[in-house]
Amino acid sequence: MDALNTYFNSYTIVGVFLVIGILLPLVAWGIGALVQPHEPNEEKEKTYESGLDPFHEATVKFHVRYYHIAILFVIFDVETIFLYPWAVAYDKLGLFALIEMLIFVTLLLIGLLYAWKKKVLKWM
Amino acid sequence: MSSSGIVFSIIAICAILGGLMMITLKKVMHMTVAMILTYFSIAALYVLLTAEFVAVAQVLVYSGGITILMVFGIMLTYHKAENRDEEKVSSFRKLITFLSVATLGIVSYFLVAPVDFVAEEIFVGDHTKAIGEILYTNYIIPFELVSILLLVALIGAVLLAKKDKEEANE
Repeated sequence: MDALNTYFNSYTIVGVFLVIGILLPLVAWGIGALVQPHEPNEEKEKTYESGLDPFHEATVKFHVRYYHIAILFVIFDVETIFLYPWAVAYDKLGLFALIEMLIFVTLLLIGLLYAWKKKVLKWM
Repeated sequence: MSSSGIVFSIIAICAILGGLMMITLKKVMHMTVAMILTYFSIAALYVLLTAEFVAVAQVLVYSGGITILMVFGIMLTYHKAENRDEEKVSSFRKLITFLSVATLGIVSYFLVAPVDFVAEEIFVGDHTKAIGEILYTNYIIPFELVSILLLVALIGAVLLAKKDKEEANE
């Protein structure tokens, strides 16, 4: 129970950080909204007060190759998650786990090679 | 109510709020941000259960990876949230929905209420090491199967997305 209390007490700083993180923008904008004068006009409400008038729409279609890169990222992200406990417990695991991990990485390397062969990695 | 109960209630309310915002907001990007709130709340719940490794994995994969993937998915497709016609839902249908949700709530309450959850001894310490020791000795086959699953997901995603592009070029 003592260890549990220490554990929760060590998360107090996270809670404090969260509260400050939420309050800081709220207070900054809140005071700003209270203090500033409110006189909107057409020129002020433009996206850029100086410079070009915005044209076209903001929601343009992205190219599919961004999606390829994103999905490769997610898959290797998950792989990294599995590497962490292996690396931490490496002292107690030994050679067998090393070989297992090599098999794991090799299988995903095949996937990467396939993606490479399919020219997913090529930015053209 | 104990202090951990209060913290749990706050986090649970945040999680449910994120889910509700996700289905009620109109713009797809706002929905994604609401979803991140839910993911972070779930990570906080894991921290409350002293499962720190799972919490970090949740933040890393769900709040980071999956959300980015969804944002790209949204940007690939074309959305016009503002011009979406509001469907008129009759009050009868609303009543039926409310009744079914209420029934579900009451039934699940009476199902869950008599269950006596035995408090497990909470493990405080190096979770990452403990997971590593168990995963790479006792559960080695499921671990290797995960790599095959990831490989299938990778090849499947490449195959699906790439095929569309080649057809578009022809």
